[in-house]
Amino acid sequence: MSRQTKRVNRRQFVKTVAGAGTLLAAPQVIPSSALGKDGAIPPSERIVLGGIGIGNRGTYDLGCFLQQPDVQFVAICDVKEKRRVAVKQIADQKYNNSDCDKYRDFRELLARKDIDAVLIATGPNWHATAAIHAARAGKDMYCEKPCTKNISQSLLLAETMRRTGRVFQAGTQRRNLPHFAFACELARTGRLGKLRRVYAHPAGMTSKASGWLPPENAPPIEEVDWDMYLGPAAWRPFNHTMLNGFHFEKGGGYMGCFEESGRFTGGGVLEWGSHCVDLCQWAANADHTAPVEYNPPENGQIVATYADGVQLILREKDWLPLGSCPVRFEGDDGWIETGDSGKFVLSSPALLAGRTVEEIGGYPATFHVRDFLDCVKTRSQPKGNADTACYAHIACHAANIALYLDRKIKFDPVLHEFPDDEQANRLRGEALRAPWRL
Amino acid sequence: MFEIRFTLNSLAAVILAVNCMLVSPTTSMAEEEQPLIDLLQSDAPKAQKAITCKKLAVWGTAKAVPSLAALLPDPELTSWARIALEAIPDPAVDNALRQALEQVEGRALVGVINSIGVRRDPKAVGNLIPLTKNATAEVASVAAVALGRIGNSKATAALRQALVDGPDAIRSAVAEGCILCAEKLLANGHANEATQLYDEVRAADVPKQRMVEATRGAILARGADGIGLLVAQLKSDDPVITSIGLMAARELSGANVTKKLMAALTKVAPDRQALLILAMGDRGDTEAVPALLDTVQNGPTGVRIAALEVLQRLGNVESIPVLLSVAAGSNVEVAAAAKASLKSLPGDGVDAELIARLAHAQGADRLALIELVGLRRLDALPPLLKAVDDTNLEIRTAALIALGEVAKLDNVSILIGRVLHPAHAQDGPVALKALQAACIRMPDREASAEKLATALADAPPSAQGAILETLTAMGGKKALQTLRAAANSDDAQSQDTATRLLGSWMTVDAGPVLLELATASDGPYKVRSLRGYIRLVRQFLMPDAQRAAMCAKAWKAAQRDTERKLVLQVMQRYPSTAMLQMAVEATQISSLKKEATEVALAVAKKTNKQAEVKKMLENAQQ
Repeated sequence: MSRQTKRVNRRQFVKTVAGAGTLLAAPQVIPSSALGKDGAIPPSERIVLGGIGIGNRGTYDLGCFLQQPDVQFVAICDVKEKRRVAVKQIADQKYNNSDCDKYRDFRELLARKDIDAVLIATGPNWHATAAIHAARAGKDMYCEKPCTKNISQSLLLAETMRRTGRVFQAGTQRRNLPHFAFACELARTGRLGKLRRVYAHPAGMTSKASGWLPPENAPPIEEVDWDMYLGPAAWRPFNHTMLNGFHFEKGGGYMGCFEESGRFTGGGVLEWGSHCVDLCQWAANADHTAPVEYNPPENGQIVATYADGVQLILREKDWLPLGSCPVRFEGDDGWIETGDSGKFVLSSPALLAGRTVEEIGGYPATFHVRDFLDCVKTRSQPKGNADTACYAHIACHAANIALYLDRKIKFDPVLHEFPDDEQANRLRGEALRAPWRL
Repeated sequence: MFEIRFTLNSLAAVILAVNCMLVSPTTSMAEEEQPLIDLLQSDAPKAQKAITCKKLAVWGTAKAVPSLAALLPDPELTSWARIALEAIPDPAVDNALRQALEQVEGRALVGVINSIGVRRDPKAVGNLIPLTKNATAEVASVAAVALGRIGNSKATAALRQALVDGPDAIRSAVAEGCILCAEKLLANGHANEATQLYDEVRAADVPKQRMVEATRGAILARGADGIGLLVAQLKSDDPVITSIGLMAARELSGANVTKKLMAALTKVAPDRQALLILAMGDRGDTEAVPALLDTVQNGPTGVRIAALEVLQRLGNVESIPVLLSVAAGSNVEVAAAAKASLKSLPGDGVDAELIARLAHAQGADRLALIELVGLRRLDALPPLLKAVDDTNLEIRTAALIALGEVAKLDNVSILIGRVLHPAHAQDGPVALKALQAACIRMPDREASAEKLATALADAPPSAQGAILETLTAMGGKKALQTLRAAANSDDAQSQDTATRLLGSWMTVDAGPVLLELATASDGPYKVRSLRGYIRLVRQFLMPDAQRAAMCAKAWKAAQRDTERKLVLQVMQRYPSTAMLQMAVEATQISSLKKEATEVALAVAKKTNKQAEVKKMLENAQQ
């Protein structure tokens, strides 16, 4: 049976039935009527959380977790002491104690038996490797995007989650926002007629990778652990410019390169593609496959085609002013476009069919975090599970390969290879620096 | 693109090679490869060699392997060399990696072993087996995992043995290797052998997580016969063990698996029952429905609710009698869950069956069915129209709410009638809410607004405000016209309500109306209207030119510094040349000089026009 199954409304179930608490540890299912009026959840029934690599984005995610009454954050791991201190301060202030532990090596955090789940927001260089280590250590995880650096990592990530039985939620929070879900539903259920085109905003169409900069004196390891920062990335000397984890070794870049601005791009179409392409995959009923053909950029667009003929179009321009990360779905009978404003535009108001779709702007991750926590309890699959993330990322990586090779490529989403295309196949994976492995 | 900062001379050769590749990626690889090999063999800086390895990962052949392999002992370049070596699909790489096992140590050795595992080189098994006994646990562990990735019979046998007599420090890795071998056996159709290997791991002294993974594999490899083992996990007091049972319950395939799992339901504790039921829902198998229908009628509340949740997806028309009965029951939480199930119940005949039942239903069933007509938006107007005249308040209320959900344009007048002339006083507010719900969801909002505008003339004062609020929620031309008329009417209450509502209008088309009210020669709500206008400029999406033009009009209309400061905030929020110009001009007003100057400088900074603004400010002050 496929892992991606028809899911029941777990959120409602968990809220109604359990109200709170780690179901698996609870002696019996607790009706919400039996809960205390303040909804307080005893520490013994909370999901114990650790954080790995909590910078700007991670701090936002952590805030979403800390809002949840059934979460207890107990430990922070970061290669930078400043971040360890800052996050510990957030946690200790929240709980009015000094209990949050600090680690420089995430393996020590993962070795803690009391930790149920981890928030991984390191930066894309580490995401897949840390997630796979967390799964092997028996932890569930919420992992920021882009989750993988290449096709091979995408497949191994999904495979590992299956093997280890862990719950994985990619940081693709738009899957849990009503306007995006509504747009995907219209496309998926045929309300737009036969689906023809799905559009994604990639926020970048350059194929670059972090390079090797002139060496600088490295700070003490207690301040910044450079070796741990590099992690699975190939070795290079310390240079402070590279300490921006958001950009470093994002994947999708195949040419060693350093921009004069000091900003390491390298994501290619991965930056927003891991959000927008992910939504297009959902809309096209393609959560377990990927386009079979990819063209290099032409007129500001990368056009890929699914086996059923639906086109996935990545474009930078010509969007309605509906906010960042826009998507558009076009069928024979209508279209819908939406973005981070929370608003959407329909080809016809009749597509709304009398429904009221909540408009939540600003792409909050709260709902996505809640979805993850509910699944930790029920062991169901969250919306951004490893399988859906795997194929959405594969689509982005394949588009990046077409971009880099600057020619049309074909992909077999069953065998996960580019038929008779040695160069493209070589770009499916990349060796990890020892001692790291997937 | 190639922009690494190094001495230009030493980089020239690489740039030349890279540029060749970029311009013509499909040209002969041999022609492109040689300069890269030459560079690796030269005394070029390591940075160049590193990037060259990346290029050879795509374009290298067996020719490049010796040069790449020579970098493996170099701690700074070994990882780069492996990037190329892992990618080049030539047996020469495997030979080189096997030879390197004897030549490198420490992390480099770990890396080489990992690369052999990734390439699944069967010829390396003989080299890897001794390495599982290496004194360094890290080396021995990665050797075990590499053997697992290769997964042939010789590798499997070695791992089996290590599972029994290997040192504790590598037991986890050995178990991981065994599980990889078992997966390969299963994928190749050797389920029995896979099962045996999984069971050996389960029985061995391995970390709990490895045991959990082996248990999952043991269940799945057994197919339908794995039910017993799965249920045993669900009975465990250990949540980690139960978790893997629940995961496997979602994955296990085979004949009658769903039926067997449902039969096992009563063998586990109630909290596990609820979770197992949710797993059944994720399986999406309708074989579970009869047992689920039994479950919803009795037992612990949580289990019943879980079953009702799943029936939302798996139930069908035949589930209706049981669900209706539960929906009419006394357990409030269960009844609500049953209604939720009925609301989403799939199947072709469900709608027709619910409508047919409503025609004859009595008491609690009738109430539930009326609610469902609204929730499912069924085409069942006659029984609803009958119900809105019922003597029972509960029935009337439910019917009016449902009417709000199903009424079409032609039926809006019915709801308007109930608002303006309710037969029972209690019905008025409910009817108003229903009217609002109906109008807001109408596809033809203009036609709907026309009806409301007509009704407004006859509406009692108590309902006029609500109708105006409904029009505001709807938006559109007619609604805006109606609000404008109300704001300009002689009635003080209408003026107050309409200007307040215009201030919360959700589209920019209210701008001209608000500006008209704000600049009228008289009128009690000029300031309120102007603030509503400024709100549009501040909050809504619009082209830059339009925003600047509206900003200018707002500035001109503002009579007080309080509103002028709001306009200045808009200028700062949306920096542009036009906004900058306006902010500079605003510095002429002495009472606002400080704020306007700050805004002008902020806008200048964002638009990169600091120099211009200094000059403009100087001119403005002259």
